[in-house]
Amino acid sequence: MSTAPACSLMNQGTTKTYELPVEHLDYSFVEKCTDVKYLEKILIVLRSGEEGLYPDLISFCEKKIEKLDPKNRILRTNNPPATAASFTKEEWQEITSDIKSWTDEMKQKENEAKYRKPEVECLDSENHAPIRGANASVLSHQNGFDKKKSTDRKRVIPRDYREWDKFDVEKECAKIDEGKQKISSNTISNDGISGIGKGIDTTGMTDQEKMVLADREKDKGNEAFRAGDHKEAVLYYTRSISVIPNVTAFNNRAQAEIKLQNWKKALNDVEKVLELEPGNLKAHLRRATVHKHSANYQAATDDLKRVLQAEPDNPIAKNLLQEVEQKLKDSQPIGKMKKKGKRMLIKEIEGSDDEKEGTFTNENKDSSKPVGGRTSKAKAAMGNSQKKCSHKRESQTNEKNRAKGKDTGGAAAQKNTKKDSDGNSTALKETEPSKYGHETKGGNVENVTIPMASKSQDPPRIDSSQMFPPGSSSETEKGKNNTWALPPAVAKLKSEGNKLFKNGQFGDAVIKYTKAITELIESGVDCPAELSILHSNQAACYLKDGNCTECIKDCTRALELQPFSVKPLLRRAMAYEALERYRQAYVDYKTVLQVDSRIQLANDSVNRITKTLIEEDGTKWREKVSPIPVVPFSAQLHRWEKDPISSAGNETQTTKENQYTSPDHGKNAEDNFISLKQEGNSFVKKTQYKEAIAKYSECLKLKSNECTVYTNRAFCFLKLNQYKEAEEDCNSALQLEPTNVKAFYRRALAYKGLKCYTSSIEDLNKLLKLDSNVAEAQKELLEVSELLKQEGKETSNHEKVRKDILIQEDSDEEEENATVTASGQETPTDPKALQVDSAGSEDPSTRRGAFGNSNPPPEKGSNLKPTNAYEFGQALSLLRAKKDIRACAELLKNVEPKDLPSMMSNKLEGDVFTMIIQALKGHLLEKDPNLVYQHLVHLCKTERFKMVSVLVGKEREQVQQLFSCLLQTKSDDFTSEDVQNLAKNYDI
Amino acid sequence: MSSALEKPQIVSHIQKSLNYTLFDCKWIPCSAKFVCMGNFARGTGVLQIYEVSHGELVLLKEIEKSKPFKCGTFGATSLQQRHLSTGDFDGNLHIWNLEAPDMPVYSVKAHKEIINSIDGVGGLGIGEGAPEVVTGSRDGMVKVWDPRQKDTPVANMQPADGDSRRDCWTVAFGHAYSSQERCVCAGYDNGDIKLFDLRTMSLRWEKNIRNGVCCVEFDRKDINMNKLVATSLEGKFHVFDMRTQHPTKGFAAVSEKVYKSTIWQGRHLPQNRDIFMTAGGAGSLHLWKYEYPAQRSKKDSENTDMGVAGTVTLLQNVTVSTQPIGSLDWSPDKQGLCVCTAFDQTVRVLIATKLNRV
Repeated sequence: MSTAPACSLMNQGTTKTYELPVEHLDYSFVEKCTDVKYLEKILIVLRSGEEGLYPDLISFCEKKIEKLDPKNRILRTNNPPATAASFTKEEWQEITSDIKSWTDEMKQKENEAKYRKPEVECLDSENHAPIRGANASVLSHQNGFDKKKSTDRKRVIPRDYREWDKFDVEKECAKIDEGKQKISSNTISNDGISGIGKGIDTTGMTDQEKMVLADREKDKGNEAFRAGDHKEAVLYYTRSISVIPNVTAFNNRAQAEIKLQNWKKALNDVEKVLELEPGNLKAHLRRATVHKHSANYQAATDDLKRVLQAEPDNPIAKNLLQEVEQKLKDSQPIGKMKKKGKRMLIKEIEGSDDEKEGTFTNENKDSSKPVGGRTSKAKAAMGNSQKKCSHKRESQTNEKNRAKGKDTGGAAAQKNTKKDSDGNSTALKETEPSKYGHETKGGNVENVTIPMASKSQDPPRIDSSQMFPPGSSSETEKGKNNTWALPPAVAKLKSEGNKLFKNGQFGDAVIKYTKAITELIESGVDCPAELSILHSNQAACYLKDGNCTECIKDCTRALELQPFSVKPLLRRAMAYEALERYRQAYVDYKTVLQVDSRIQLANDSVNRITKTLIEEDGTKWREKVSPIPVVPFSAQLHRWEKDPISSAGNETQTTKENQYTSPDHGKNAEDNFISLKQEGNSFVKKTQYKEAIAKYSECLKLKSNECTVYTNRAFCFLKLNQYKEAEEDCNSALQLEPTNVKAFYRRALAYKGLKCYTSSIEDLNKLLKLDSNVAEAQKELLEVSELLKQEGKETSNHEKVRKDILIQEDSDEEEENATVTASGQETPTDPKALQVDSAGSEDPSTRRGAFGNSNPPPEKGSNLKPTNAYEFGQALSLLRAKKDIRACAELLKNVEPKDLPSMMSNKLEGDVFTMIIQALKGHLLEKDPNLVYQHLVHLCKTERFKMVSVLVGKEREQVQQLFSCLLQTKSDDFTSEDVQNLAKNYDI
Repeated sequence: MSSALEKPQIVSHIQKSLNYTLFDCKWIPCSAKFVCMGNFARGTGVLQIYEVSHGELVLLKEIEKSKPFKCGTFGATSLQQRHLSTGDFDGNLHIWNLEAPDMPVYSVKAHKEIINSIDGVGGLGIGEGAPEVVTGSRDGMVKVWDPRQKDTPVANMQPADGDSRRDCWTVAFGHAYSSQERCVCAGYDNGDIKLFDLRTMSLRWEKNIRNGVCCVEFDRKDINMNKLVATSLEGKFHVFDMRTQHPTKGFAAVSEKVYKSTIWQGRHLPQNRDIFMTAGGAGSLHLWKYEYPAQRSKKDSENTDMGVAGTVTLLQNVTVSTQPIGSLDWSPDKQGLCVCTAFDQTVRVLIATKLNRV
């Protein structure tokens, strides 16, 4: 230890090799130094021994470097190969015995192979690819290492004649295309997996060869997986499976699919693994991951528990379970679990690298809770929800009786069951939306339902179900296990089927269900709901097995029994989609959305299919889709019961509404209609026009005579540039309300979009006639006329202009909605206000409503005492719409003639003018000619009078008549000269 | 020592001194046997088949031929036949049925001078398409042979007239992921690496690594070319990421300097393409692991894709001999088992442990 410092003190100076100061070869310096490069130099000097040998200092220096940079090259030493001494006894034994057993195994295999040999050899040559063409040569030009030249010297060798015989034109074309692509992209990427076949031809191979091959393909998959090429990995696993279906390849493919977020495929693979090898922990873990990501938390928990039972210390499972349970908790009160656990995904990646070690454990029997417990919970929850909506239900009894087949409750229950069914594995399930928080107790296939039909027929049963104590927090109807309503044999078969389904034995489940169906029919029990469920379940099995046609049949049967139940509809839609019968699938999905618009799966699928159909059929794809059946309101109703938060408010409103509207059906429709419309409006606010359109369309299904909805929907179509639809909507709106300003404006925009400029101008003119104050319309008019002029010359400009306008319109619309909501908040208790609220826009009918509100009997103009221009305008436009001349006369009576110009402000228009003249002439002239004269005097002082009087054409006769009458009447207040002078103002 | 034991260890399982110079050794597929190739002091060639049996090497067969064997491969044969293709000092390519080695099943005077390197593809279930053998020779030619076609090669890569002929030291097949695609990579004594595309019959890429290229090998022959290891005379090796070929920059590469001595061989583990062993100068073996970067390609300033090289980590290194290790072969059937020959006329069977845990 002490020699080194002493030495360095003696030899002051520098070392030979690197000229380091000799003092630096010192413990304290090495200790302090953090410069790895410098330390390297010190070490080299020390190792060289030129300054003397200091083994301690060398090792000290080495340790220091290792601390700073553990992978430093200088630390690499010449190690002798490991021997028995470097291992523990057990390890060494393992290594040697491993080799021994391997050698023995190989010998045995080789001996076996010898016997088989002759028969195989003959197959050899035919399997191989043809011999490459003639002696083709490529110059490797070794001297010139010039890259620019190198491309010039590449050349392609002409083909051999023999090869032409095998010439595949299409392939060659594809090759040429490929080549072109490569040239255009410059960079050549070799990561395309296009050339690799999905299967391998294994004809003529021995089992041994197949095994080797399968193993090799799997290894390739593993490597690709490790390199992050998950797609390539999937491909190689698929190849491996095509040679010999093996557990590891399935399991690993599942993992790769998880990485690619192909939950469905992953699930299929995992199920396959569990089929081949029940209890495979990795498969369970992966299935848990898949379930978690498809928001099937209960199933995930079951899987994780099973893993933890076998391996209580499995950290991945623990973490995952924690997360899932957290989600489960979160999801229950809120009822939404849209969040996707990205973080967990990453964790899973970390833990999954040890792909190949198949951990095989014996099958653990199902750890999930007994079915009974679950059922009782479900019942309790059911009771709770029943109570919640019971009063509402009761009020609907009449209606229910009316709608026998299309039974609300049945559909509702069906739908609920859909949510909590298929605990483990349905394809349906995993892609299902995560919106409903109550999937938690799922795990049974449709252990369902007391259909509402039977409920109303059988009042005591309802009562009993309502008497269940309120359940914890589940806000929706849980599926009730009403197997007791079935003949015991059928019930048993069904539950067996459910169990089999849950275990993924779909084929067996089908058999059970079929038996159950036949037994049920034979038993003569009339229970269409139950039968429908059985069919639906059977359909689920078929769907899982990929037997789409059977699935469709069953769904259709189920739907015949229970129209508009969501599950069979969804399944049928999926089956159709799988069969690429997109139109049918579209119709089914659409129907599902009508029943429950919040089913994300259906929404997504509709979007997807729409795209496909547009690709297939172009813009007119809609024409080829058969009409979507209108779902009766009764089938939709339960949707509102489902959403406790939004419906809480609605319900109170609804009950109040009840007192005002007499027929039950109408009331419900109204309620529904309002909410739908509000939803639509809010979607507009969020600029989600497609969704808004869906809502509005539903509105219209409930009530097709609501003008505002048409105009609103037209607005959305405009936003989406679907001018044709917009135009149609405006037409409908105008049919209902010929003076709707908005409809005119939007139709004008639609025409503009369709480049029918003349029609557009026409509409705008009409609109300005109705309401000259619409600035946008004036602007639009200018632009459209401009466009009309330029038409054919500048189309790009047109595009730009249209955009501008749309933005303006947007703000307009938003204001509208804002005011709507505001007014809704102000008078929440007033049912009329609510109704107005729902009308949702400022069109005349709304104005009437608002006006009528402040003056109780709104229809009677006699009571109208407008105090300001706005009220007057409102009243006037309302009267104009109704062409109620008498009321108009009343109104005029109430207005001081001298206030008329201010009241009228700039709202004077042709038909208003005509109406006033008619009112004056028809109703006031006889009673109060003086008032008429005064009004006429002041009318000509109003703004826009000049313009309007010019526009008034044939109505001029009426004015003339009025004046002639006025001349004939004698009054103290005005002379005939006065009248004549006035008549001049009216161009008479 | 516990941390050291976590790493893979290289165990010298068996070593056996022989009485001839060893040039190459190859495992016989689906067996615990391997072939050693070399030349006797008297100038004749020798093939010896050994079997690993209970910690010993048992000589099963010895075949003596007139010319010394330089290299051999099983790459172009079926698993049933397991014929060995060899290249000898005289430029002959032979294919032997080891069961009946009196006459070669295929024989051709392939090159004018010694065949330095040989590789096969399309056999053993490795690589789609026709079984083919490629030979590289001192005469500067690289030739591709189909055992079904006598006398003439199916492809020939040669320098243009007037160019000086460089000694081709190494050849390797790769990119044989479909029946059409196939590439040959060749390394020359002047440091050139050339990649020939056999589908388009063109030179696809070339690169000079400044030192004689002793060995090139694709990490796998039967996939879309992924990585290429090239070892050089002056103790450096390069790992090219072959997935993305930039129009001017070519393939991205990482290089590592091992020792001052030549790296004679680089061989990928058949069971894991990201692990490879380099065998070099002073009888040392290095076991490496290639680690991929987060993104294997990126955009350059002109928005064209270019590859990104990963890193190599040394897993283990041992020195088993004082003489260079001339050849190394991993067992295709047993992970971690390998055989190597050194110029000290010794053949060694080594076991690399814990390869499945890296």
